[in-house]
Amino acid sequence: MARLVAVQQQNRPASFSALPSSFSDFNGTRLHTSIQYKRKVYQPKGALHVSASSSKKILIMGGTRFIGVFLSRLLVKEGHQVTLFTRGKAPITQQLPGESDQDYADFSSKIQHLKGDRKDFDFVKTSLAAEGFEIVYDINGREAGEVAPILDALPNLEQFIYCSSAGVYLKSDYLPHFETDAVDPKSRHKGKLETESLLQSRDVNWTSIRPVYIYGPLNYNPVEEWFFHRLKAGRPIPIPNSGLQITQLGHVKDLATAFIRVLGNEKASKQVFNISGDKYVTFDGLAKACAKAGGFPEPEIIHYNPKEFDFGKKKAFPFRDQHFFASVEKAKSLLGLTPEFSLVEGLTDSYNLDFGRGTFRKEADFETDDIILGKSLVTA
Amino acid sequence: MAALPLARSFASSSSSSLLFSNLASSPSTSLSFLATSSLSLSASTNYSYASPLLPSPRRVSSLCSTSSSSSGRLVVSAAEKKKVLIVNTNSGGHAIIGFYFAKELLSKGHSVTILTVGDEASDKMKKPPFSRFSEIVSAGGKTVWGDPAEVAKVVGGESFDVVLDNNGKDLDTVRPVIDWAKSSGVKQFLFISSAGIYKPTEEPPHLEGEVVKASAGHVGVEQYLAEVYESWAVFRPQYMIGSGNNKDCEEWFFDRIVRDRPVPIPGSGMQLTNIAHARDLSSMLTLVVENSSAASGNIFNCVSDRAVTLDGMARLCAQAAGKSVNIVHYDPESIGIDSKKAFPFRNMHFYAEPRAAKDILGWKGTTNLPEDLKERYEEYVKIGRDKKPMEFALDDKILESLKVPVAA
Repeated sequence: MARLVAVQQQNRPASFSALPSSFSDFNGTRLHTSIQYKRKVYQPKGALHVSASSSKKILIMGGTRFIGVFLSRLLVKEGHQVTLFTRGKAPITQQLPGESDQDYADFSSKIQHLKGDRKDFDFVKTSLAAEGFEIVYDINGREAGEVAPILDALPNLEQFIYCSSAGVYLKSDYLPHFETDAVDPKSRHKGKLETESLLQSRDVNWTSIRPVYIYGPLNYNPVEEWFFHRLKAGRPIPIPNSGLQITQLGHVKDLATAFIRVLGNEKASKQVFNISGDKYVTFDGLAKACAKAGGFPEPEIIHYNPKEFDFGKKKAFPFRDQHFFASVEKAKSLLGLTPEFSLVEGLTDSYNLDFGRGTFRKEADFETDDIILGKSLVTA
Repeated sequence: MAALPLARSFASSSSSSLLFSNLASSPSTSLSFLATSSLSLSASTNYSYASPLLPSPRRVSSLCSTSSSSSGRLVVSAAEKKKVLIVNTNSGGHAIIGFYFAKELLSKGHSVTILTVGDEASDKMKKPPFSRFSEIVSAGGKTVWGDPAEVAKVVGGESFDVVLDNNGKDLDTVRPVIDWAKSSGVKQFLFISSAGIYKPTEEPPHLEGEVVKASAGHVGVEQYLAEVYESWAVFRPQYMIGSGNNKDCEEWFFDRIVRDRPVPIPGSGMQLTNIAHARDLSSMLTLVVENSSAASGNIFNCVSDRAVTLDGMARLCAQAAGKSVNIVHYDPESIGIDSKKAFPFRNMHFYAEPRAAKDILGWKGTTNLPEDLKERYEEYVKIGRDKKPMEFALDDKILESLKVPVAA
């Protein structure tokens, strides 16, 4: 699990990779590798050491599903006392693929669990006040109302670190989204926006992280899984409209690293950060990247006009049908954060540790594909 | 031609530019060289140079700056005034760069000579920015005309600290200027290349250091410059707006919007491009002149912070004009149209980001299309272009094949 540790020292540039991740390497000329800007990565070392040296009592709201699984391990490794607040519906810990028995045993023995429903505000207030947590990571909060009792319970809270979403940005022709861009009060993620506003209005040291699309092993959102199912079945990949829509994926381990980097970091105080991959990708490009990652041949891509179909309640494609990407340069320049994974590397990591081992969250469902491809539905 | 240099932060001179660490992590780099050029050095020879590299004092200082705050990264003080020669093209989209750069340098107390290719009496000089060269002269700059192959003669044997070649697109054109600069002791050589040399990618944006098309003329210049020059920088721009532009950019949209004509855009209209105000390019160039040490040996994407979609550009132009817009998409191939002739931007994603300038020099972009286009529109109307009678032959052809009415 060495890769989970903060990778400040690795100066592998984003434009290079041990894998030929750019699709047109060998017919062109790679002229000059101006990697100079990587030096910025080394900047604010001081702030990071401050947090790493003192062990904190940390509460993670959630933490058993995806981001928190990786984050909690990093925090425990750094010597913090970590508690997960969950209803207990899912197992508190699970051994990760590739994780040694020893590491897992060590982690399991140290992680604590506070069982409860975060919507039970009274319980939240009393239980948290009783524990006196110093740091809170809110990974699964959706509504401002759920956060207020946490702040009420912990008047001496050192930092509230919130997992928001780049989905709060107002759709635009003029991209990428910067942290200062207009947000959409009507978006599906308005609860996240309201939470950010609440944090700003209260006298608390907060940091808000806005990821774009997150991917990696254990992903419960069918991002890469959607492509892998089709690639494995040898099916064409139906992509709406031109396939030129640009999106952006961020590896969950890089996100976990980002969450660690802001801990106790003055530069992150009362700041919002976009966190995602260094480069963006077209829908068509993503299909091809997934194929590369899983060792599949280049896929057949079918473009279609979604307006010509009625898919009922089903989603025919896992991404918003629009350009959607955010600049991660603020995190780079203020926090020295550079994503470790390039797209193909990250997808390969996800494939090798998850789908490629036969595990996935949702069964393959090609109903909408068949509608598009004009085939009759086959009942299993 | 000698081996392709791989300049890294600590390897800016020609001989040591073959030195690079981290070879193990970038095998694809050396492979791409073998595939494309007649290298005199094999990959194994390159490897043999890869061990201990002693950075020059200049490089050490730029490495040292990593531990300082962002403002400390700039090593050379701006107080040093330079004598700058700009070799400027006499037409096209890049002509405006020299104009803005000259004026900015002059405003900061540097001395500027701008050598425009060709004849002062040529008809080309009647168009902007050349028609406004009096502004350079009244700011204390010198304007001369001639053949860059005879640059020494044209500048009357004068010597300079910095040369910017904003003219040549291939080595044949720029080599004489580089050779003369080197022999006459010009310390810093800057070259305006093009972001058009990047290989198309499905993972935008284009970043400095990524694969370029080996066949592009500019690439030959970039390589030669890196080989023979100590302190050099290369700039890769995309599209520009700004008063004094020699080539239409936003005007193409305004022409149609003010006449209530549909705006035909090839493809889906989702293609991203990068349109910068010329002042952003000028500020980046100036920063490089004033921080030659930190900038040395680097490629800079000379573009704005953001991409805009083709449809988005049409919408922004309409907003700036206070009018509505009717965008019509078409497939150029199926109706037999060459979109290069029919439309001013590439029919594909063409998007570079200015990361090197930001990270190495702390450069900040100021282009704000919604605001800048308002100002552009004001000038468009002021010069009476909205009333000018115009032909739209290609548009009409497109609209006819789509059966779209011309007038609303």
